[in-house]
Amino acid sequence: MLRIQNLTARIGDTEILSGLSLSVEAGEVHAIMGPNGSGKSTLAQVVAGHADYEVTAGSVEFKGQDLLELEPEERAREGVFLGFQYPVEIPGVNNAYLLKAAVNAKREHRGQDEIDAFEFMKLAREKMAMLGMDQKFLSRGVNEGFSGGEKKRNEILQMAMLEPELAILDETDSGLDIDALKAVAGGVNALRSPDRAIVLVTHYQRLLDYVEPDFVHVLSDGRIARSGDKTLALKLEAQGYDWVKEAVGA
Amino acid sequence: MRPDGLAALPKQALETAVSARSPLTPDLPRQAALARFLKRGFPSTRAEDWKYTDLSAAIDVTRDWLAAGAVSGIPDSLADDAAALTGNIDASWVVVGNGQIVGDLPAESGKDGIVVERLSRAAVEPSIEQPLADLNAALLTDGLHVRVPKGARPSRPLGILYLDQTDEDPLVSLQRAVIDVEAGAQIAVIEYHASKGRGGHYSNTQVELSVGDGGSIDYVRLQNRDRAHSQTQRLGVTLARDSAFRHFALDLGGALTRNDLTIDIAGPGAEARFDGLYIAGDGQHIDNHTRVDHRVGPARSAQEYRGILRGQCRAVWNGKAIVHEGADGTDAVQGNHNLLLSEGAEIDAKPELEIYADDVKCAHGTTVGQLDESALFYLRSRGIGPSDAQRILTHAFAASIVRELPIGRLSDAVNTLIDRRLGDSLAMESA
Repeated sequence: MLRIQNLTARIGDTEILSGLSLSVEAGEVHAIMGPNGSGKSTLAQVVAGHADYEVTAGSVEFKGQDLLELEPEERAREGVFLGFQYPVEIPGVNNAYLLKAAVNAKREHRGQDEIDAFEFMKLAREKMAMLGMDQKFLSRGVNEGFSGGEKKRNEILQMAMLEPELAILDETDSGLDIDALKAVAGGVNALRSPDRAIVLVTHYQRLLDYVEPDFVHVLSDGRIARSGDKTLALKLEAQGYDWVKEAVGA
Repeated sequence: MRPDGLAALPKQALETAVSARSPLTPDLPRQAALARFLKRGFPSTRAEDWKYTDLSAAIDVTRDWLAAGAVSGIPDSLADDAAALTGNIDASWVVVGNGQIVGDLPAESGKDGIVVERLSRAAVEPSIEQPLADLNAALLTDGLHVRVPKGARPSRPLGILYLDQTDEDPLVSLQRAVIDVEAGAQIAVIEYHASKGRGGHYSNTQVELSVGDGGSIDYVRLQNRDRAHSQTQRLGVTLARDSAFRHFALDLGGALTRNDLTIDIAGPGAEARFDGLYIAGDGQHIDNHTRVDHRVGPARSAQEYRGILRGQCRAVWNGKAIVHEGADGTDAVQGNHNLLLSEGAEIDAKPELEIYADDVKCAHGTTVGQLDESALFYLRSRGIGPSDAQRILTHAFAASIVRELPIGRLSDAVNTLIDRRLGDSLAMESA
């Protein structure tokens, strides 16, 4: 589904990704781990199409098409979803409005009619109940005054409403208390299906106790230094990241 | 060089026009007002308060209008336009067409009622000595005197629709209202300004508002005039002990717009909250000057004006707060935030604080900027295209101030006006 080959990207004059390759197939859950500054978030932003990052080499294919040729909104309509590490507050735009606009943008792209107001509310209520979110969040400004945990739940709500084929969740577990972490994990697990791929970008192993990954990759200096199954995450948790660097350097 | 405001005055035509004014308004000291006006002329850009706003267009229209005989009849078609504008807002409406009251005045009285009379029948002192107020007093033919008796709390807002139509001829429309909210009374007032027609047009509006002890007023002014017309408007407010003034002003239209809002805090415990939104496009100039005089404390004043500027246009915001000696316990806050969406847009924002008391809390902040790139990317990453994302964020910038609207029942109408002005029909808050 997602095929990244020798991806090199920089912001300004600083190269952050240096020949990264990664393949993700439908039905799989991948965890991307690594120390701060290893390029995890950059990878997520480049796949979503953030203009601050310049791709200088390599390719990214999504469902066989060149993803780098598409605008951010086109990528989203094609089924790519990025859960932001720092969701943006947008006072004056209510959450329901954003959800509806996003759902309709995708429906229009597929040649479907706009979602019926009743159907939309029913769906939103259902997803919010699953995430333990109060319905008052629908009428509040997007992320406006939300706590860290509320913002992350809100990202998962958007994901649940949009049902992406590829979801990349950037540090969605950071700053969450145990209840929020369980709610977020529940939302991710509910989306797991043979048709979808999920990439969890995380610094800690904690989330992986609740969402079991099929593959774990460790990023170091802008490329994947090591890949393995879920036991790799446990080893990282026990031994830290230094041994990966040492192993690569050796 | 532009003509000097004084040199350009058509003195003789003005004198003729004033002499010919209807004797229905004997209480207006026209000649004295004219004499003062002729001495000082229109404000020129040499005056600090008028540095950025050039009234040449208003002067030209006034001269042409006087030369044409200064006739201002009321076109028949006004009635339909008025109905269309007032039909969507539930209020008791008074329609003022080309400066003349059209139809009947609301006949409300009694305990909960208000008294609405023609200015000509009420003995009213001349307004402040200011050239535009003098010009208004000299040429005025009709006006409103609204009295909200002690303790009255009318359930519906009073709406005043100022509608002007010019067709081919130049038109100067003079509008004046005196509103007295007596002790303990409460009222909501909606002012709606609209105009149409191809002729040159200048409107001069003067409103004097006083709020008695413990009284309160919610006052919303909506201005959606033709984009070719010029207008100057002054709202002077006096607040007594424990009174409240909540105001929202929306400016969408007009080629040149100048608003002066002056608030005199004369009684302790008074509270003034006033906000504004202006949206300027190609060829528009919108100037908001506000001034609050805190004469006594404790009292609060808070204002926030927001502007959205696109195309070749200019806006001015000048907010002055003066805390007079002895006005301890004053709390004055002012803010002005602007979204500049094009290279050719210009804003001159100036907060001014003059403090002569010790125990005061004053703050001001102004910002000028573009749309937030991270918010744009966030929306695009959700499948929303760039132009929709820009529109959504522009609406959001406006919505943050519109939600402070003091008359809740107006929010749909106000949002619709803004939506249309920003060029789309998305109803942001109704998803």
